[in-house]
Amino acid sequence: MVTDSDHLRNQRIVFYSEDIERIDAILSEFLELSGSKCNLLIDKEGHMVTSCGDTDSIDEQSVAALVAGSYAATREMAKLLGEDEFSVLFHQGKRDSIQLSMVGDRTILATVFDDKTTVGMVRLYARTACEKMEEIFEDIARKPKRSGTLDAEFGSSAKGALDFFFTE
Amino acid sequence: MVQINFSLKEVNCKIVYYGPGLSGKTTNLEVVHQKAPGPSVGDLTSIATEGDRTLFFDFLPLNLGQVAGMKTKFQIYTVPGQVYYNSTRKLVLQGADGVVFVADSKRGKMDENIESLKNLGENLKEHGLDISNTPIVLQYNKRDLPDVYSIEEMEQALNSWNAPHFEAVARDGHGVFPTLKRVAGLVLETLNENHAPRRSPSVVAPKGSVTTDGGSTAATAVATRPTKALNTTATSSTGRSTTRVRTTASVVRTSAQAPTVRTGTRPTLITSPRRRKRQTGIWMGFIVASTVAATVLLHLAGIIQIWS
Repeated sequence: MVTDSDHLRNQRIVFYSEDIERIDAILSEFLELSGSKCNLLIDKEGHMVTSCGDTDSIDEQSVAALVAGSYAATREMAKLLGEDEFSVLFHQGKRDSIQLSMVGDRTILATVFDDKTTVGMVRLYARTACEKMEEIFEDIARKPKRSGTLDAEFGSSAKGALDFFFTE
Repeated sequence: MVQINFSLKEVNCKIVYYGPGLSGKTTNLEVVHQKAPGPSVGDLTSIATEGDRTLFFDFLPLNLGQVAGMKTKFQIYTVPGQVYYNSTRKLVLQGADGVVFVADSKRGKMDENIESLKNLGENLKEHGLDISNTPIVLQYNKRDLPDVYSIEEMEQALNSWNAPHFEAVARDGHGVFPTLKRVAGLVLETLNENHAPRRSPSVVAPKGSVTTDGGSTAATAVATRPTKALNTTATSSTGRSTTRVRTTASVVRTSAQAPTVRTGTRPTLITSPRRRKRQTGIWMGFIVASTVAATVLLHLAGIIQIWS
């Protein structure tokens, strides 16, 4: 019998190269149309899915964790106000700004942009990009789950890596 | 939830340090940050109050290196321990793949430990997880204090499901790595069971067989550490008196970055307003030029008629 716990565990997100390539194409198009600096696609747990644009000056992992935290906190605020969630968040800075848009129910699109474009342009094209990515995620969800996605040597390799890393 | 990204060749796991206030959760992360091999840890980000109490969470990315061709990364979080921050604790716990429960060994703190553990069970349940089936390790911290509960007392009060446990003095770094190693092993073990073909060997020793050192041997595969690091120190403040975001230390660039996607061709599906405006301008210019040319021709025709 599959328990709720098992069900949640089986929902682990697996992204295959062909899916990411489709997402990357949409992000690239969005990057050019909106005139943004970079785009990060982040899952709700704060893990990076993919990114495009000029990310050299950004610590992607920390930004991803903070974006997910910020989004989760705002969602709780929305619930207190009787909303399901706020689907778009916007943080304005002196030089750079960031817009967060929900993509489906699991991922967040973080768009970093400066004064070379406007929030209107970013918002306009983000909506289209999010809709296209949602279609891809629905497509992924419809595909039958593949079994044995990791290498057979993963167990022994993980054991070796842990021993190596934690040698004191 | 574990994220497996075959495009980036990455496995991302989330570990959460849980426990009552002032039990040493943030100290654990600080020790990992200081002692882990430089290139393998990223920034330690702390969203803390002026008094250095965790307000939202601490976050430390840790890169284990290549495991069977996949970059294996852990995102390590702590929660705020104080009772009234339960809503933020619940948010941080969302999607956790493994939990370290840091208990305070000091005599008189048992009620707080029990209450926090009960709260952990309730919050896990809200996320559809059962505490007895979740990869969890108990750490009995502050063992150096003069008046502490015995390990038997701690076990009896807190460890009813026989989870692995470790003694620790996090302030001195003692017991920090074995705890993390064990929980990381349990997380990867669960991942291995669910995603690798059945013949894949186990990551850790059977549950309950190792409870004091977390060590295991027999490494059969090559593990490589990241080799490039960018050492920076950055401190930033939100400007609000109650919240401080601190970031310090070294950043892993080589392992953390996703490949940059750049486009060589212009998209054809949508026309931007700027481009549309430009195209309209060109058409207007063409119409005006045509009208002028037609008028000139008509005038010329009239002049020729008069001449003839």
